[in-house]
Amino acid sequence: MDAYFYVILVVGLLSTVICAVAGILKKAPNDVTILSVAAVELALLVYLVGSIVRVVAGEPIAGEAWEFWGYLLTALLLPVAAVYWSILERTRWSNFVLAAVGVTALVMAARMNQIWY
Amino acid sequence: MTATSSKHTAKKPADTRNTGPGRLLIAVYAVFAISATARAGYQILTKFSEAPLAYLLSAFAALVYVVATVSLAKPGRTWFRVSLIAVLVELVGVVVVGALSIFDAVQFPHETVWSLFGRGYAFIPLILPVLGLVWLYRRRPAPHKA
Repeated sequence: MDAYFYVILVVGLLSTVICAVAGILKKAPNDVTILSVAAVELALLVYLVGSIVRVVAGEPIAGEAWEFWGYLLTALLLPVAAVYWSILERTRWSNFVLAAVGVTALVMAARMNQIWY
Repeated sequence: MTATSSKHTAKKPADTRNTGPGRLLIAVYAVFAISATARAGYQILTKFSEAPLAYLLSAFAALVYVVATVSLAKPGRTWFRVSLIAVLVELVGVVVVGALSIFDAVQFPHETVWSLFGRGYAFIPLILPVLGLVWLYRRRPAPHKA
């Protein structure tokens, strides 16, 4: 597991906890929960840019390259989709949808690390 | 908050299941639909001959998740029935495939979403249909007038 994974681990879990707690407290999605999901997106973007740089620099991906990029691009779509949905219906349940993004990104980052090394 | 308060009343003005907790359910189903489809597609395209039965099951599971996701998001009585069937098939699938993968490891040596009751996915495939049935029961359409 590399630094990218650990950054997503921390940011993702933090975002999940923030959003889940907000949902339990019966709050609608607000700046804090949406920004925490935006932080997950940012962490994934850093992973994307970092990975492109590494590939350009000549570092090989051990597993299937297209599988790695597939995971990464799908993961990048999740926060966007979740935030869009949470804006459409602003209830506490949308915070649980937002909470799902962090853990899902974490699981996908773990898989991406497995593919890379 | 309106969705939470209307949840407990028996009669629904609108016949939809895509608000409140239903949105979380649909979101989780959507993630499973995407990941199961991608995984099944990958297995079938790259190593289908290794375990055709397991990979066809993967594809079937993916299809069930897609149907469940779409039908849960749609309003109306027909989509309710489609949801119900999809979620029931999912429940039967995860139980049967889960049991088979334990007792007949020869036929099911390769992982599918439902292998070992969805252990590879934190048992979410086993919990999801139960939550789905609970949600569908709570949001069942009003009975036809006799």
